[in-house]
Amino acid sequence: MTPNRHGSARIEFPNELDVLITREFDAPIALVFDVLTKPEHVSKWGATPPDQMKECSIDLRVGGNYHQVFVTEDGTECSFRGTYLEVEPPTRTVETWLFEGWPDAEAVETMQLHESDGVTTLTMRLAFRDKAGRDHMTRFDGQQASFDQMEDILRSLLGPTGTSPS
Amino acid sequence: MARSPTTSDVFNAIAEVRRREILDALMTGEKAVGTIAADLSLSQPQVSKHLRVLSEVGLVRCRADGRCRLYRLESARLRPLHEWLSKYEQAWNARLDRMDDLLQELQQQGERSDT
Repeated sequence: MTPNRHGSARIEFPNELDVLITREFDAPIALVFDVLTKPEHVSKWGATPPDQMKECSIDLRVGGNYHQVFVTEDGTECSFRGTYLEVEPPTRTVETWLFEGWPDAEAVETMQLHESDGVTTLTMRLAFRDKAGRDHMTRFDGQQASFDQMEDILRSLLGPTGTSPS
Repeated sequence: MARSPTTSDVFNAIAEVRRREILDALMTGEKAVGTIAADLSLSQPQVSKHLRVLSEVGLVRCRADGRCRLYRLESARLRPLHEWLSKYEQAWNARLDRMDDLLQELQQQGERSDT
C-alpha cells in the first residue's frame, strides 16, 4: 500500500481578499471531479464529525444552484449556497459562494483540477472581489480590518465547526 | 467574535500590507529605520509610523546604537498567528483527507468490479 497524502493541503493568503487551497490526490481527474460535484459523494466527506450534512443538493450546470446544510451535535444549523457560473468537467467550476450568516458577503469560488502522471491537483480559490463582498471587507478601515474579516470568512468557510464562537 | 478596530493585537497590526513588508525586511536581521525605508522605497516618517504600531504589539523591538535606532523582529510574538493559521490548516486538511479516503475507497471498489 502506498503512503497516503494526509495532512498535505496547503493554505495560502496571496492577498487581502483571496484564500487559496491546494491539495494533490492519487486519483484520476474525472473521479476527483465527481467526488467534488456529486451530492452522493460530497455528503460523505463534506461534514466534520460529529457534525452532519443534513442537505446537499448540486445542480451542476451554468445557472444551476447548490445548497449545503450542516447540523452540529447540539442541533445548530448552518448553510452555504451558490450558483454555478462556469462548469467545465472535469477541469473547472466557478461558482458564487454565500454563507447564510453573511448575506452581503458573496464570494466567487474557482475550483480547478489538473492531472499529471495519475496525480490530480486540486486548487480552490475563494475571492471576495465582487462589490458586495468587497463592501463587507472594507466596511471598517479597509485593510486594517481585513484580517479580522478573513478570520470570520475562514470560520464560516469551515462550516459549523469553524463557526463556533472563540 | 469581532475584535476592536484598534492596532492593539497582532492580527490588526499585520493587516496592513506595508507593515508585513517591514516584518519581511526584518527577517534577515536588525535594521535601522533609514535602511528599511530605502529597502521598501518608503519615507522615513511612514516607516516610523508603522514601526510604532509594530512595537506597540511587541512584534518589533528597538535599541539605540549611538545615534541610530535599530529594530529587530520579535518572532515569538507571531505565535498567535501561527496557532490561528494552523487551526484552519488542520480543519481543511481533515476535510480534504476525508475526500482522499473516499477517492481511494471508490478506486478500490472500481478495481474489484473490473475483475
